[in-house]
Amino acid sequence: MKKEYIVDTPRMPVSWREETKAHKFCPGCGHGLILKALGQAIDELGIQDRIVFVCDIGCCLLAWDLFNTDGVQTHHGRAVPVATGVKRANPDSICIAYMGDGGGYAIGAQHLVNATARNERITVLLANNTNYAMTGGQMAPTTLIGQKTETCPYGRSIEQHGEPTRGPEMVAAIAGHGAYVARGTVSQMNQLKKQIKTALQTQLDGSGFSFVEALATCPTNWRTNAHETWQFLNNNMGAYFQTGEFKKPEEQEV
Amino acid sequence: MKDLKEKNETKDKYAVRPIVGEKRAFATGNEVVAWAALAADADIMYGYPITPQNEIMHYWTRMSEKYGRGFLQTEDETSAGFTTLGGVLAGRRSFTATSGPGNMLMQESMCMAEMMRLPTVMIVQQRGGPSTATVIYSQQEVNLTCFGGNGEGFRIVYSTCSHQELFDYTINAFNVAWTHRFPVFVLGDGYQAKMREPVTMYDPRDKGITMVPTEPYVLKEGCAGVDREPQQMRNTYNTEEELNEVVEGLNAAYQAVIPQVVKHEEYACEDADYVIVAHGVVTRAAQAAVEYFREKGLKVGHFRPVTLRPFPGEAFRPIADRAKKILVAESALGQMRRIMTDTIYGCSTPMVNFFKPGEGISTEEIIVKVEEMMAEDK
Amino acid sequence: MHKRIAEAFVGEYASGKSENAIYRALSLKKAGGKVTLVDFDIVEPCYTLRPLKQELTELGLNVLAWSTSETFGLGEAGQTILPQARWALRREGHIIVDVGYGADGARALNLLEGSAVDPDLRVVLVLNARRPMTDSAMRIEEYIESMGRVDGIIANTHLADETTPQTVEDGYHIIKEVAKRRNIPIDAISVSQQFNEKYPKFGLDDKELRVLGAFMPRSFW
Repeated sequence: MKKEYIVDTPRMPVSWREETKAHKFCPGCGHGLILKALGQAIDELGIQDRIVFVCDIGCCLLAWDLFNTDGVQTHHGRAVPVATGVKRANPDSICIAYMGDGGGYAIGAQHLVNATARNERITVLLANNTNYAMTGGQMAPTTLIGQKTETCPYGRSIEQHGEPTRGPEMVAAIAGHGAYVARGTVSQMNQLKKQIKTALQTQLDGSGFSFVEALATCPTNWRTNAHETWQFLNNNMGAYFQTGEFKKPEEQEV
Repeated sequence: MKDLKEKNETKDKYAVRPIVGEKRAFATGNEVVAWAALAADADIMYGYPITPQNEIMHYWTRMSEKYGRGFLQTEDETSAGFTTLGGVLAGRRSFTATSGPGNMLMQESMCMAEMMRLPTVMIVQQRGGPSTATVIYSQQEVNLTCFGGNGEGFRIVYSTCSHQELFDYTINAFNVAWTHRFPVFVLGDGYQAKMREPVTMYDPRDKGITMVPTEPYVLKEGCAGVDREPQQMRNTYNTEEELNEVVEGLNAAYQAVIPQVVKHEEYACEDADYVIVAHGVVTRAAQAAVEYFREKGLKVGHFRPVTLRPFPGEAFRPIADRAKKILVAESALGQMRRIMTDTIYGCSTPMVNFFKPGEGISTEEIIVKVEEMMAEDK
Repeated sequence: MHKRIAEAFVGEYASGKSENAIYRALSLKKAGGKVTLVDFDIVEPCYTLRPLKQELTELGLNVLAWSTSETFGLGEAGQTILPQARWALRREGHIIVDVGYGADGARALNLLEGSAVDPDLRVVLVLNARRPMTDSAMRIEEYIESMGRVDGIIANTHLADETTPQTVEDGYHIIKEVAKRRNIPIDAISVSQQFNEKYPKFGLDDKELRVLGAFMPRSFW
């Protein structure tokens, strides 16, 4: 006799690849939520057949087979140029470069800056969890003042390490006409999905570069329980990193 | 960007042929490379300025506009290399060109190309090294071009000696790359880049050369996950065993390619007592030296590896064994020699080094060296 | 009193500008008077007058070019205009300017003080119809258009040591066709010394034949 189980199927975006679930992130990790928002945005725009999902090195590479879309996993910091190369050679593709704060603001910073300056018609989605999570929790460009990591064991200091990088502010400052720049958070999923959708729409319209930073949780490296995790995300990170839209395609240059 | 899209959508973008028939032209090596890429139906070049390869970009950008091809000037050579991978992933005949410090930065992306079997084409016009050094000439990028990066050198490197070869091998590079799916390098140098000499330019189709068709790695027909499996590529592996299997697989594929691509040239080697080994532009001096000695009835030959990777060791072994002495002439401190001696391990023929890192080698100098070797044997 | 000659040699990369500029300067010198030869190459650090400076000075020319010992990091940091070169048109005597190639064509002359108003200055285009970018009437015309200003042409078609009278003649006819259409005079036909020794009787249309020295191959880098 076959035994019947009642299965409660989680509602996954259609563009997610079922065979590769459950995903490989730690419990409580923000990546799953960001990628859920991305999946929903892809679903709503109906562009699964045009996506090239390019992922960086770091925890983000665990997403290399997460979607039911084509994708390429690259080297650390090099997701932006690979996405740029694909897009330039095939303008009909919708290229998403997915990376962490180290990949975008440190090792791949000049790619990010110059892709922005050239107004490349790609979408960069960046998870900011204030540390290098995959390599064991080292200081990132986004590590908060006073925050302890393996490479700033006494806490990040302004004197030693400067202030944490505010990515979208930097990108918005150099982004050209028609670009879209925003920061969301995994604690505001509707807003985050909307931002990602606008970013992809920007690419679909071909109006300019699009960039969304998502504040993300990393309980493993923060060594926080559920309550503390949420507090750190909303209070500590939220106080320094303002969410919202920094540049929109319809805004005319003064 | 819109223009580029329109260009890509123009179906008959290759209807206007840049070269009609066969043409004898007077050109610099860099220009020749740009024309060859154009004639080979290359779709897009990604690049970053560095001397002595700049005119490849200058001429490509002047012509790509007219013939509907793409160009992107990136922020650095790291980006130029990785965007080239992107172009290949999109199924376009993509290439880049660089030199010296730029070659160093591009090795990162070329490693990824080796791991993922991406048919990139890269032109290297060698300059002096180490570091910034000179922009003029050397043969000091042999190590880097053959074995750069954290891998095993799964690549094909052609060392050219003339403008004609720059033209022929650039066209050939695209076909070898897209046939075997390994990165292909055309290794020139600053002299070849800047020198002017006559060259025959042609449309490969007029010579019966078919350009090997390209195909996209991502965004093939149909919707990923609906009509077909998604194409998801990676270069990261988890365990030693898993990686070992992947690398052994790459090696098996590479070993199978070797006999199909390995190439050398022999000049009067059959009975040669003294064999000069030289590659690239130095082969010209070696060839002239052989002519000089043969006219005097002296048994001097020249062996020229055309592919430095894979190195034609099998062809060289019997020649090396038979010779009394071998002269290795290089504008580097033995970068080619190290590769060569490895492939003829056990050969006991004495070798004489003639190394001039960063400087050209003339026929006269080689003649003097060979005469010295002969005098020692008397 | 000689009429002051002021000529700026422009043209496609490797078209033979420098060799023609040297020829012109030396022949004016032979005819008497002061001659200043100016290196105005701002793109290409190889094949410039720089390595020939001493040799040409010894031949009586006033050469405005960097000396190799004064330069540093060619192709990386060394591409600057010699300050004196900028004011060359103010000098006494004949002025021959060797302008490098570049996407902006003859506009490089904007860097030469007084070039727009100098009544004597002529922009002379050196053309080799065997250079791939100028190998047909259509391409030459397109090229001339991109130059901005051309007052005279030198037909310098060759294939190095493979040059035959046919090579020169075929090139000349293509160039002549365009020159006529655009109403630009052909100043001269130039050939190499080697060619002239092989074909001493060669001539076309009674045009002045300039037999070029082989200075430039010695100036590589």
